[in-house]
Amino acid sequence: MEFLGVIVLVVSFIFLLVIGVPIAFSIGISGILTMLVTIMPLPAATTFAQRMATGLDSFALLAIPFFILAGNIMNKGGIAIRLIDFARVLVGRWPAGLAFVNVFANMLFGAISGSAAASASAIGSIMMPELNKEGYDKNFSAAVNITSATTGLSIPPSNILIVYSLASGGVSITALFLAGYAPGILTGLGIMGMALAMFSYKHFGVKGMVRNVSKFLAVLVGIVLVAVGIYKVKSLVSPGAATAIYGGLAALFAGGFGFYASKHKQGAKRALRTFLNALPSLMLLVIVIGGIVAGFFTATEASAVAVLYALILAFVYRELSWKDLPDVILRSVKTTAFVLLLVATCIGLSWIMAYENIPQNVSEALLALSDNKFVILLIINLILLFVGIFMDMTPAVLIFTPIFLPIVTNLGLDPIHFGIIMVLNLSVGLGTPPVGSLLFIGCSVSEVKIETVVKPLLPMFAVMIVVLLLVTYVPEISLWLPNTLGF
Amino acid sequence: SHHKVLKLAHGLDPTHPVHKGMEFMAQRLAEKSNGQLTIDIYPSGQLGSEQQCVELLQIGSLAITKVSAAVMESFTPKFKVLGLPYIFRTKEHSFNVFDGEIGKELLLGTEEYWIRGLCFYDAGFRSFYTIDKPIKTPDDLNGLKIRVMKSQSAMEMVKALGGSPTPISWGELYTALQSGVVDGAENNPPSLYTSHHYEVCKEYSLDEHTCVPDVLIISTKVWNSLTKEEQKWMQEAADESVPVERKYWAESVEESLRVVQEAGVKIHYPDKKLFADKVQGLLNKYKEDKVLGDLIRRIEAVED
Amino acid sequence: MRQKIDKIIEIVLVALMSILVIDVLWQVFSRYVLSAPSSFTDELAGFLLIWVGLLGSAYVAGKNEHLAIDLLLQKMKGMKKRRLQIIINSIVGLFALFVMVIGGAWLVYTRFYLGVNSAALALPLGYVYLVVPVSGLLIIYYSIDNSLNLNIED
Ligand code: NA
Ligand code: NA
Repeated sequence: MEFLGVIVLVVSFIFLLVIGVPIAFSIGISGILTMLVTIMPLPAATTFAQRMATGLDSFALLAIPFFILAGNIMNKGGIAIRLIDFARVLVGRWPAGLAFVNVFANMLFGAISGSAAASASAIGSIMMPELNKEGYDKNFSAAVNITSATTGLSIPPSNILIVYSLASGGVSITALFLAGYAPGILTGLGIMGMALAMFSYKHFGVKGMVRNVSKFLAVLVGIVLVAVGIYKVKSLVSPGAATAIYGGLAALFAGGFGFYASKHKQGAKRALRTFLNALPSLMLLVIVIGGIVAGFFTATEASAVAVLYALILAFVYRELSWKDLPDVILRSVKTTAFVLLLVATCIGLSWIMAYENIPQNVSEALLALSDNKFVILLIINLILLFVGIFMDMTPAVLIFTPIFLPIVTNLGLDPIHFGIIMVLNLSVGLGTPPVGSLLFIGCSVSEVKIETVVKPLLPMFAVMIVVLLLVTYVPEISLWLPNTLGF
Repeated sequence: SHHKVLKLAHGLDPTHPVHKGMEFMAQRLAEKSNGQLTIDIYPSGQLGSEQQCVELLQIGSLAITKVSAAVMESFTPKFKVLGLPYIFRTKEHSFNVFDGEIGKELLLGTEEYWIRGLCFYDAGFRSFYTIDKPIKTPDDLNGLKIRVMKSQSAMEMVKALGGSPTPISWGELYTALQSGVVDGAENNPPSLYTSHHYEVCKEYSLDEHTCVPDVLIISTKVWNSLTKEEQKWMQEAADESVPVERKYWAESVEESLRVVQEAGVKIHYPDKKLFADKVQGLLNKYKEDKVLGDLIRRIEAVED
Repeated sequence: MRQKIDKIIEIVLVALMSILVIDVLWQVFSRYVLSAPSSFTDELAGFLLIWVGLLGSAYVAGKNEHLAIDLLLQKMKGMKKRRLQIIINSIVGLFALFVMVIGGAWLVYTRFYLGVNSAALALPLGYVYLVVPVSGLLIIYYSIDNSLNLNIED
């Protein structure tokens, strides 16, 4: 019976996709057909209807429509332009500078909101018009946005890590949060590097690519060396000497900036003006981050506050009137709705998969292949990558944590480490066709097709998988920070 | 031979004492039926939240589920009585009510809602935990934002005690506590432990305001499809798992309190009478209710 | 008829979304400024999102804007293409009929029959789930309407 369910599921899903049935309905129809294998028609239809409706009854999901709405208001209200102008001053001199801005903004925003989907929609919809105006390839921009949005899932706070902690029944959330920093930042830097390489190759050929990427790596190594140096100062000299050294460094930095400003008066003036112009908009980030950290509101509520703040700013700038508002709202609802229908049908499909024990059976069969630690970790990673192709993150974490965690802890893996592996791994799946919430959101805000975004996505996935393998086989990347702080 | 498999889904994780109680029940049922009637357990909310699982029982796609009596309120209003603060004097008092006539009446009184109660599982006493302000008297709750479940009686109770009840979804609670969106929450010791809220909340005041049990329920459609003999095995297996679950629960409470104390949580034992006096007005209001009033008086009459 | 239905859904969607934003802002305001946390906003937000999501899905289905892999359609021309589009519309319509209309209606009916109310608002859950069959009916209407008005020039 279980075997029959898998066949019905896979065959019907592929068939429907190929003939061009909308993806959300393909998921729904293959889900209900699988249900009909074991459940009577009326209870099956009613259960699927219930799963679709209750799947949307989630407070955390609200962040998606709200950040999309805030982004649309900001676009219409002239806020985005001011933000991007400022960002361009900061990193515009790099080739692929705007792509860097996109990645950095996603790391920041995804970190705060804890939701990759909200981040991809908010940052994506703000950045895309500018990227297009600057002549960036739409598909390339979408790929950067889709993959970099996942960094917010490992950089804390992260709702998915909380879900993992609950599913694992005993892993410290604080430790998980601390463990997520380095892998998240590493992924972000990796995507920046790959974006730079792709951009340079297209515009300056192989030589330019090598030159730019070396420059990028040199800057990174420089930053790391300085950071390690500053960190080590404390243990090398007396507290008084350390304070003096830090003070000297700060003075040197300020003096350097002053010298630069006096040499490039025009540039410094413009930079300052752009900064002041962008300040009210940057305040949105301060209000969102500050509000969450100070405990005024939760991450989800912050998205509604963002809508309010964007609205106020847009009215102050007089670039939005009450008459425009229904249109902006309707456009946001449309973008949101197809994501929500996907969530709804995905929840129905995940339910019948869990009900039929399909994931368990598949992974048990695959794990029977070996008892070598490295091979098993590789198999688990491959299974999760495969699962991520078809399934959304939360149900995947809920279903696979209880199956895999006992296996990997027997192999001597730290459950904190495995949580990060799982989140990084399933992050790849959020962007892979046919089922990936980030893929859908990213394509929608950038107005590109899934078929065409796949090509620039592939090298980005390669970076993510390299980071995933690094984090899998070098536990210190995730465990160093929590271990240092006593977890 | 016809081999029947019943699906049981619930929201707890597999290390939870109530889950272990249900595993024992499943094992007893398999033994009694010689493997002809077995139960597959789906933990961790894989098949939906508690509220949703009850709906699936009514729809007929799920056979059995375990829910908090607080969730049963939306389906059968009588269950509201079990969520009232200080309705039970002691643990023994609550056990006598669950095991006795009133318990049976509540379990079987759900059949008109297409579900049938099998047994009550102990879910201990719920108490307040806060980030840094210990609750020693009800006055300490003044102005504190306390997270409650989405349930009217839970909100009324916290309000009566002087706190500001704040409904926040369970998944968002950890970060809400960490950033101070709410000042505290209330739950039993094993949940404080497994939710990791003890990493943030360092004061746990065992005022034991409510004693809301868990309920094991089966779809009447499934129940009626069982033979008389199978029904008997099922009920016996459930009944036999009750004392086993209580033992697991007691062990888990002890273990949880030990672990959270080691993690730096201070445990307080406030004078419960101060709290019970504060909610007297609320209880009196419910005593005027036609259905609940009678039930409250009957529960009060049960011995310890 | 089609334009009228579209207009009504648009107004309802904008209204629901606006209430949703106000609801969550009120939740923050009542808790942080008034220090009297609202008891219903959290639950109401979830219910409104169900409505926005499903009603919005029907609206987007009407506009033919749900994401699809339409490589096959792009390769086809004339009658063949028209036939495939009708088949796709019928498949979507059948799903809407079986799951959303029949399943959804039975869900709504049993919620009312069994008298199930929500936890915080004590709102009959039947009203919340009502959006499932309503959206299902709209999707069926749109699938039929879209099939009848296919432009076959390309
Ligand atoms: Na995050
Ligand atoms: Na995917």
